[in-house]
Amino acid sequence: MPGQLYKSAAIVGAAEANQIGFLEEPATALQLHIEAIKNLSDQTGIPIAKIDGVFSTGWSTELCEHLGITPKYIDTTAVGGCSFEMHVHHAAAAIYSGIIDIALVSHGENGHSARKIGSGGGNYGRGAGNASPSHEMTMAYGLGGAPSNYAHAMVRHMHRFGTKREDYAHVAKVTRDWATLNPRAAMYSKEKHPFGGPITVEQVEESRLIAWPLTILHCCMVADHGGAIFVVSPKIAARLSTKPVWIAGAGESMSHGNMMEMGDFTKTSADKSAEAAYTMAGLGPADMELAEIYDSFTITAAMTAEMLGLAKPGEGHLLWKDGHAAPGGRLPINTNGGGLSFNHSGMYGMPLLIEAYRQLSGTAEDGVNGDKGKQTNARTCVVNGTGGSLSTTGTLVLISDDD
Amino acid sequence: MAYELPIPRRGIHTRPFWDGAKEGKLMLPRCIDCNRVHWYPRHICPTCHSTNLEWIEGSGEGRIYTFAVQHMVFGPWSEHAPYVTAYIDLLEGDRMLTVLRGVDPEKPEAIGIGAQVRVEFEQANDDTFIPYWRVVGA
Ligand SMILES: [Zn+2]
Repeated sequence: MPGQLYKSAAIVGAAEANQIGFLEEPATALQLHIEAIKNLSDQTGIPIAKIDGVFSTGWSTELCEHLGITPKYIDTTAVGGCSFEMHVHHAAAAIYSGIIDIALVSHGENGHSARKIGSGGGNYGRGAGNASPSHEMTMAYGLGGAPSNYAHAMVRHMHRFGTKREDYAHVAKVTRDWATLNPRAAMYSKEKHPFGGPITVEQVEESRLIAWPLTILHCCMVADHGGAIFVVSPKIAARLSTKPVWIAGAGESMSHGNMMEMGDFTKTSADKSAEAAYTMAGLGPADMELAEIYDSFTITAAMTAEMLGLAKPGEGHLLWKDGHAAPGGRLPINTNGGGLSFNHSGMYGMPLLIEAYRQLSGTAEDGVNGDKGKQTNARTCVVNGTGGSLSTTGTLVLISDDD
Repeated sequence: MAYELPIPRRGIHTRPFWDGAKEGKLMLPRCIDCNRVHWYPRHICPTCHSTNLEWIEGSGEGRIYTFAVQHMVFGPWSEHAPYVTAYIDLLEGDRMLTVLRGVDPEKPEAIGIGAQVRVEFEQANDDTFIPYWRVVGA
């Protein structure tokens, strides 16, 4: 009996770069990609703008940015030569499930030319090459870690909405309040960390400058973290003793790779990824009883809350300032203490999922020694991860088993 | 004095830009089919997906879209901290990154979003002249 993907998708065209082989004029890997994609578009008559899923070994963000497209399915599986067969498999699954209609699988590799000009490319100039013009045109200007980039978005957000830095400091203060309910949080208490325990808005404001307007307490920590989750079929879930939390909706999107290509610095693509997730779930922001939002910086959390429809544009920070996101509030946010005060190792997507699972399965009660703990009564949760320089977003709508 | 900050490696497709910079010109890629200028230089127009592209000489004028002041910096730039990084909206359209000149990093409140800026080039080595932008008006 055929599987569910049987005849659920088809390959409809195939093309190559303008020149292949031992090129006299060296080509970059990026150029080889783009030529093949252009030729494929010409061959099939499918406009590049209609591509809604991109599959490419580690390259997808850069390809999409270069093409100026913002797909809703992004796969960069890079496991060697068989990656592309896997891309086809993943694409078929995405098409079968109705997420996308037109998947691009793309390859570009300058094995020969690399001897003259370096391999480079992908992830903005990894390696010695000059394959990434966006990297070439930005590497001179003294930007470094995430704060150096994100600060620009905060300044623009403040300019557009007339907000003050202090407004965003409430995000850090309230998120710390959550951490004080979670013994596993790095900043749980003064005993656990010299800078742990409750903080005030004034302390956030007066802490050391990293990239104005961001002070260090507006920034997440960089610590160690490991985590994992299982996703299983309903059949398997029914056999387990642990409580299931159901994936009601999922969506993804991107706006750019390099921040120079971010159109509106007061918005991320989370409005698009959230719309897809809400639509899939048949639920909206008003139905969410909990939110777990990547808070790399206070501005990230505030802006993302706006994109998720939890607050009006320019009013994201009010969720924290007015106490709604705080313990006991109407919409608890980042109940583990967030990347700001729980833990953040570099890529915070997994802790978001773990906390959302714990909350919706009723196992978030980390309270010990008379602490009241952080368990909420939420039955629905929106989870949003942000990647790169406010570049890529993934949104999930999760619901508890009792809902 | 030797230029000790990071120097971009000139790409193949960006040669007209660097050649122009050497002569004090801000060269920009434009799509012949849709007439839009895009930045950074591409193999394909990100607006209409034409590969019919040309280079034009830009005005060298723009406005500040947003900025930040870099205080915690590693590597060659650390000796220059604090300094102001900014994204510049080009008069011709699209956006560039720069380190802003003619501003006081200790007074970020005085830096105006929308302020007029003009490009200038600093020689980094024999072939590479790096564009920087200076505030010239409100
Ligand atoms: Zn065009």
